[in-house]
Amino acid sequence: MLYSILRCWCQAVEALVTGLGRLVAWGVPLLALVVAFEVVSRYLLNRPTVWAFDVSLFIFAYVGALGGAFAQQRKAHINVDILYLSVPPRWKHVFNLLSYLLGGFFLVIVCHLGWGKMEEAIEFDYRRQSEWAPSMIHFWVMIVAASAVFLLQLSSDFLQNLWQLMTGQPLLDDRETGGSA
Amino acid sequence: MSVELLTAVLFGCILIAFALGVQVGLALGGIAMLVGYFTWGDAVFNVVPTTLEDNFFNFILLSIPLYIYMGQLLTRSGVGEAMFSASQAVIGRVRGSLAISVIIVCSLIGAMVGIIGAGIMTSGSIALKPMLERGYDKRLALGVIMAGGGLGILIPPSVPMIMYSAVTQNSVGRLFVAAIVPALLAVLMFIAYIVISCRLNPERAPLMTEEEQNMTGRQRLKRLRDGGLGLLLIVAVLGSIMAGIATPTESGAIGVIGVIGAVLLAVIYRRFKPSLLRVAGVETTLLVAVAMWIIIGASVFSNFHLLMGIQGLVARFTADLGLPPWGVILLMQGIMLLLGFIIDEFIIVLMCAPIFTPIAVSLGYDPVWFGILMILNIEIAIQTPPYGFALFYLKGIAPPGVTMLDIYRSITPFVLIKLAVLMLCIVFPELVLWLPDRLMGPG
Amino acid sequence: EQTFNWRFSNLYSRGTAYAEVYENFARNIETMSNGRIRIQVLYAGEGVGQTGVLGAVKSGLVQMGAIFQPAHSGEIPFGVVEIGLPGTTDDATKLSALFHEQGWQPILEQAYNQQGVEWIETYFQPAVYVLTNKPIRSIDDFKGLKIRAPGAYGKFFRELGASPVSLAWNEIYTSLATGVIDGSIGSNLIDHRDGNHVEVAKYMYPLPVAGAQAMPIIVNKKAWDSLPEDLKAIVKTAGARHAQEQLDKSTVWVSQAVADMEAKGLQWSPEPSEADRQAWRAAARKVWNDYAKGDKISAELVKILEASGAAH
Ligand code: NA
Ligand code: NA
Repeated sequence: MLYSILRCWCQAVEALVTGLGRLVAWGVPLLALVVAFEVVSRYLLNRPTVWAFDVSLFIFAYVGALGGAFAQQRKAHINVDILYLSVPPRWKHVFNLLSYLLGGFFLVIVCHLGWGKMEEAIEFDYRRQSEWAPSMIHFWVMIVAASAVFLLQLSSDFLQNLWQLMTGQPLLDDRETGGSA
Repeated sequence: MSVELLTAVLFGCILIAFALGVQVGLALGGIAMLVGYFTWGDAVFNVVPTTLEDNFFNFILLSIPLYIYMGQLLTRSGVGEAMFSASQAVIGRVRGSLAISVIIVCSLIGAMVGIIGAGIMTSGSIALKPMLERGYDKRLALGVIMAGGGLGILIPPSVPMIMYSAVTQNSVGRLFVAAIVPALLAVLMFIAYIVISCRLNPERAPLMTEEEQNMTGRQRLKRLRDGGLGLLLIVAVLGSIMAGIATPTESGAIGVIGVIGAVLLAVIYRRFKPSLLRVAGVETTLLVAVAMWIIIGASVFSNFHLLMGIQGLVARFTADLGLPPWGVILLMQGIMLLLGFIIDEFIIVLMCAPIFTPIAVSLGYDPVWFGILMILNIEIAIQTPPYGFALFYLKGIAPPGVTMLDIYRSITPFVLIKLAVLMLCIVFPELVLWLPDRLMGPG
Repeated sequence: EQTFNWRFSNLYSRGTAYAEVYENFARNIETMSNGRIRIQVLYAGEGVGQTGVLGAVKSGLVQMGAIFQPAHSGEIPFGVVEIGLPGTTDDATKLSALFHEQGWQPILEQAYNQQGVEWIETYFQPAVYVLTNKPIRSIDDFKGLKIRAPGAYGKFFRELGASPVSLAWNEIYTSLATGVIDGSIGSNLIDHRDGNHVEVAKYMYPLPVAGAQAMPIIVNKKAWDSLPEDLKAIVKTAGARHAQEQLDKSTVWVSQAVADMEAKGLQWSPEPSEADRQAWRAAARKVWNDYAKGDKISAELVKILEASGAAH
């Protein structure tokens, strides 16, 4: 019973993060297009846009922040693995659990403060300081979402490590953890 | 808590977290907030929103995704590979030829990007695979990428140099020109090291593959043509900067469009599929997310440390020690090397340039010379273990199975070379000042 | 007796001329309060970025801040009017009257209060000028030029037929050198010198884009309310003294900066004709109207401005 609930939770998180990651990845070619458009518009047409500067920064922020959970799922985040690689597997699980707690603590703060900024942005209608002055509300909504999804992915990794530590069996098999790109 | 004690506590905690294998960005952010909570209270958490905004709306950092994407497209379309094949066709008989080509290509990339992260990650995306596939020693390959990729801030245009000039009121143009000889010196010493090291340990760098050795003149020509296209692309990107079409940050986008255009046109590569854009996008997203979460965590860490007054400690420490002039210069270099442990290239310049430069000038030293020393120093500082941004960028693009220890070992000889360049520039200021004096008159 | 430990974020890098003025302000408060208020001065990039100062003061991360309003125009749109719209006077007496006698101060105090910060004082920094890589012989020469000018200044140059471009400050030098842009404004003439822009663009237009920049010192509301009355008075007095020091030193430094730049080849574009001045003013008035339409506080400020001596 517990096994299936945990499995379901983890599978759902993995699916969510994979989907989100693939979606966000389209932001990269889009970003290149937007910046190139600005260059063409300025150099060839002598008409710099008012929007490309902010739009490119927004896309950059979306890719960078929302990609965090995706990178966690693919184990792409960087760690200093000198001691980590030399301990037995059981200890690795313990190390991972501690890592996720510390990382989770930071992400909870990001999420919480992001939420506060989001409320402020809604109340005062915060905008970018540029001439175009687009709304900042979506940025803070995105920060809350990015840290929350990152936390979800950590929760899935936490449960998988805890399960394996307690039972010696993996909770999900490799195919289910977003192993395939 | 005094800032000295706080600094010690922070470093202790970092060492523990790193030993446990916590992800670098989350570890730095988490520890700063945890220690901050116990020394300051929950008001310290307010450092997070301003840090997020500062970094995500920093236009200069935009070159990171653009250049990585360009690098990914070059690699996955086969253009990057073709570039190195072409260079093999020309200088393949020299042992270590590929590594030498990488250094040269990296210098060109360095001339395009103005920040370290973009330099290393672009060079890594393009050049690592061709070296590993030809059986190059993993450490040599990684070291070469790091050495070449770091040239981004030494070869103009360079964002830290622009910041240094603004803070200390020196000519940017002069600083750019002054960097040329030290940059050339570094490149030549890298090449010399590669040649010598490969001669001593031939297994580090295999000569050409059999296929490459038995090439007909016609095949050779075809390779040159294919690789020329890749080189043309780099020239086009550089040209777009020099002709005033795009800023160095934007030029990454020109590169991306250039790659897509080149690949679409050049049926010769026969590797283009629309899915390429998506796959390269996924890979870029991962690298950008990794870089950004490191930058966020590290900025939270250094902002907290700065709010607690670490800069005051640095200022007091340099002022109070009655050393001879050259001793002061060396001490400053040492402090900047240490600061590279915790903060990025921009903050080092912002913090140290105004504290150190007036002291150096009052001792009779040239501020442009001192600025170049600072840039050389930063290049070293951010790639020294255990903590250095550049190390993490390099690990980000390294294939799975490359450990942090591999990275540390791989960069050691190249860091020593950079240290030698730094020392040479300290001992022989003419290396820095001769060219600008010659071209622009004495400053 | 309770002591208060404050952090004070300002806009300048450590070691620059202006940095010292903020440092003096902090030391004055310490001396006048006999050390009951202690202030740690944080320079540009030290823990809080330029765009983060308002947020940091609001949240109490730092207690006091010197802000550059255009960097926060998305949060306090009225700040752009406060700092000085294009075409406002460079007469410090008239500006001072606008704030302290003609009604700007109470409006601004209330506006900042709504944001959770206390508006302590305003001080003036020198005029904003535009530097171009070709001489501007008549105002029509601005047509088609690409000029790095954010916010209100950008709108102003669009009215003159130029194309405003958005760039990071660190990119101005390279962009002027390579011709990505044809000109750029600086926050004042000292900023142009510090950015070494004259190395790559030589011509300064003689009319100031904005006559002076009025910038506030703000304090976190809670930190302010927790001060006893005598300390509040001390901070206010030190603030007034700081404003005077800004004014006195600015004059000297601007002429020094101009001399430095002229030594490096700076040239002034020819003196504009009366028709050019008219066109310049007309463009500025359009921008005023634009901002008055933007939000209620700005509308009030612009209304007072138009009726005041500072408009001419
Ligand atoms: Na460069
Ligand atoms: Na380091």
